[in-house]
Amino acid sequence: MNTLIDAFTGPLGEAYFQKSLMGASIVAIVASVVGCLVVLRRMAFLGDALSHAMIAGVAGGYLVMKMLFGLEANAPGMLLGSLLTAILTVGLIGFVSRISRIKEDTAIGIMYTGVFALGVVFVSIFRHYIHIDLMHFIMGDVLGISDVDLWASAIVAATVLTVIILFFRHFQIAAFDPVMAASIGLPIVLLDYVLTTCVSLVVVSAVSMVGVILVVGLLITPAATAYLLSDRLSRMMGLAALFGVTSVAGGLYLCVWLDTAGGGAIMVFATLQFLVVLILAPRYGMIARWLRQRRRVPQQLLEDVLGTLIRRAGEPVTIDVMRKYIPVAEGLKASLGKMVREELIVPVDGGFNLTRKGAEEASRILRAHRLWESYLEHIGTPATEVHNQAHILEHVRDHRSMDYLDSLLGHPERDPHGSEIPPKT
Amino acid sequence: MTTEDKRKAVIAVRHLTVSYGPKPALLDITLSIEKGLLVGVIGPNGAGKSTLIKAILGFVHRDVGEVLIDGIDAEKARGRVAYVPQRGAVDWDFPITVGGVAMMGRYNRLPWYRSPGPEDVKAMREALEMVRMSEFEGRQIGQLSGGQQQRVFMARALAQGSDILLLDEPFAGVDAATERAILEVLERARSAGKTLVVVHHDLTTAAEYFDRLVLIKQRLFAYGTPEMVLREDLLSEVYEGKLRVFSDVFRKEAATS
Repeated sequence: MNTLIDAFTGPLGEAYFQKSLMGASIVAIVASVVGCLVVLRRMAFLGDALSHAMIAGVAGGYLVMKMLFGLEANAPGMLLGSLLTAILTVGLIGFVSRISRIKEDTAIGIMYTGVFALGVVFVSIFRHYIHIDLMHFIMGDVLGISDVDLWASAIVAATVLTVIILFFRHFQIAAFDPVMAASIGLPIVLLDYVLTTCVSLVVVSAVSMVGVILVVGLLITPAATAYLLSDRLSRMMGLAALFGVTSVAGGLYLCVWLDTAGGGAIMVFATLQFLVVLILAPRYGMIARWLRQRRRVPQQLLEDVLGTLIRRAGEPVTIDVMRKYIPVAEGLKASLGKMVREELIVPVDGGFNLTRKGAEEASRILRAHRLWESYLEHIGTPATEVHNQAHILEHVRDHRSMDYLDSLLGHPERDPHGSEIPPKT
Repeated sequence: MTTEDKRKAVIAVRHLTVSYGPKPALLDITLSIEKGLLVGVIGPNGAGKSTLIKAILGFVHRDVGEVLIDGIDAEKARGRVAYVPQRGAVDWDFPITVGGVAMMGRYNRLPWYRSPGPEDVKAMREALEMVRMSEFEGRQIGQLSGGQQQRVFMARALAQGSDILLLDEPFAGVDAATERAILEVLERARSAGKTLVVVHHDLTTAAEYFDRLVLIKQRLFAYGTPEMVLREDLLSEVYEGKLRVFSDVFRKEAATS
């Protein structure tokens, strides 16, 4: 028992763990909140692109600071550089898709690989001047988080969250209905740029922790998890932030216990969390969906039960008797239960009887069935097929159609088998 | 229905009922359309006009009844009927020329291992000629006006070589000049012996454009010449008494007859 508690409290005492937990949580919260807008606007690919494009900015920032001020690996310089490249990349993507027939997804693909490649070439050429560990850039290092990183991410988070909260309604409407937003005079192009700048800021501050490849996961996975649980954007953002933090906490423990890469552990945890919610979510989850399908009483079965009961004219009918008359009786018991709750039938001495409401419904079905039989005979359907076809057609029984058939056939009183057609109710 | 009628009717619908739920989309439709006619299908929104077109194409599940194209069940007669869709769902940036779209009409005749031959090119050119789009053969489809785009898709239908053409609202959202141009193409196709069935929503032009009208709302209310169909009592029943709209129609009717 003590070892179990130790497993949780132990790492909490370590300074590096505290710092990682704090830094990564801050980044995860803001990434998840912005991620909600990214998910709703289907910009996931853009988030991925921005994180890759950054490497050119990191190298550029490094080089400029070193050349001009002689500073080695200056963090603010690299941060600013990556932010500039991110914005430049977004601008290029917008430019290409605006002036040509190239669609946006292709433009993103072209521009980010181009800028990323440029960064890689850059880093190779100046490898004697700038010391960037490409591996670090790609994988991130959440446990080696520095004080500067912590401050940078805190400032980024505060700024971005303030913007999102202040202009929540603007972002909401621009994501939901951009044309309407423009028509009421909102500057949607500006909002677009503000949002992509926010995404760039978040991506830049998250890359040092989880790395280029996983950063898009931090952006969208908690947001998508929240999406499955909410019907309001504000709630979705709140839940996303929560899932961001749980991903970070769960991931960091995994990382310490199993001694694995921090970024990988965080994203594995986030993905597992998503899958659990995907299965269990009360409305949009797999189990809920499966239950909904199971609970639905097939209309045909309901009609068959009512039809069987009315033909037995008031006598209680047991399940076994019903099975004889109903061609596909799968799920009969569940359906009967549901029909009792809907007050169509009542249980009587081991069998079932129609209620008043059930009898009315049954009489409508019987009228439809027998009118269709008469109609089918009228148009020359072979006698052997009349009953089966009418059985399928009896679900069509709106008043207008029934009145039409009735007058077309000259208001018949009996069907081709001589049974009485119930009058209109 | 006599055998004589059956022979002449290129489209024969008999006792057709189609339903998607408790309300039928089409109920007990019986209709036979003779060769070489320009037929308009009219009726309010949700009356089943598109369902009727889909039934003639053999796309919908029929509860009862049959649809015969030249005496063959519609589901087995695929390819005998050409369909011109509404303009909406086309990617106008797609790298394809006017000639390329029209050539698609020939694809169902080409086995996979063969390229279009001279006779396909000839059929494609004839189709473009019929819609008067020959001069645009090498033009990319995004560089055409709305009416021209509509005509390209009519050329594609003509290139299929089908004798029956179904058009879903070709006059929706085009200006008066374009409407005339499209109508002219329809009339040329008719003189070439094609049978055309056109979903139409504008009652004021229906009498002028079509040889026969089909008035439906779930069931068939009338089929015949415009004078027979555009009757005040029928229209007020189908359109549920919103007759103010039709005062125009009747005035026009009186003027033309």
